[in-house]
Amino acid sequence: MSDLTVVHNTFVLERSFPKPPDQVFFAFSDPATKRAWFAQSENHKVEKFELDFRVGGFELTQYRFGENSPFPGVALVNEERFQDIVPNRRIVTASKMMLGERRISASLVTVELLPTEAGTDLILTHQAAFFEGSGGPEMREAGWKKLLGQLEKELL
Amino acid sequence: MGKPGREGKDASGREGTASSSGEPIDRIFHALGDPTRRAILDMLAERPRSVSHLAEPLGITLTAVAQHLLLLEESGLARTEKVGRVRTCRIEPAGFAALETWIRNHRTSWERKLDRLGLILTEDDAGPTVD
Repeated sequence: MSDLTVVHNTFVLERSFPKPPDQVFFAFSDPATKRAWFAQSENHKVEKFELDFRVGGFELTQYRFGENSPFPGVALVNEERFQDIVPNRRIVTASKMMLGERRISASLVTVELLPTEAGTDLILTHQAAFFEGSGGPEMREAGWKKLLGQLEKELL
Repeated sequence: MGKPGREGKDASGREGTASSSGEPIDRIFHALGDPTRRAILDMLAERPRSVSHLAEPLGITLTAVAQHLLLLEESGLARTEKVGRVRTCRIEPAGFAALETWIRNHRTSWERKLDRLGLILTEDDAGPTVD
């Protein structure tokens, strides 16, 4: 159970947006806009969001998961540092994520923006090391049991 | 823990026997795993129907329809109601909402972030404020 294990993973997401790269880039560099899509969600409350958008600059996001999430009441902190910024073309960040007291992952996220006729193609490459006890499977399962229990009450 | 096997198949009206095994999401996926039940849902998505109006186009017996409806009701995907002498069936949104939640929660956080980014980038047309 307490074996030291690291899981490495890389995934790539691609999206097309009907806006030119400078507008997509703005959504990454402007603190209010980035907060709106990056930090906010219906599953948690944003307690802190700080963005210092420059190479070497920090970004800090602190959430607390809501009742309707798999981890109610638990804090999640994501710290990023910008490794590379090419205006309107590329943003690379290295980040560390903590769930409660535990460090759960370290990751490198590369965002590339490619101009197209219709707007912008975004390619996000996420490379990460996930640490043990990351609250993955077991916490997720516990959280799901609770959620589904609530659902069952509604259905019956 | 055993897999819920043929739950509900021979439940002849007794409540609780079929629904006591498995999580709600198990029942939803089990219900959706059958082409006839999906065909019933397709028909109910258009409008509510009586049991016999479901049986005819599907070419199955009333008893078979009733068994499928029992499973659909237990999974929260459909509801039936007796009005006068006719049992009518309709879609029940609760089960679909549960399914949607399940799917949404299995999208990675980055996919959800990019969904929101996409919304913001298209909303921009409507007005300058984004919140």
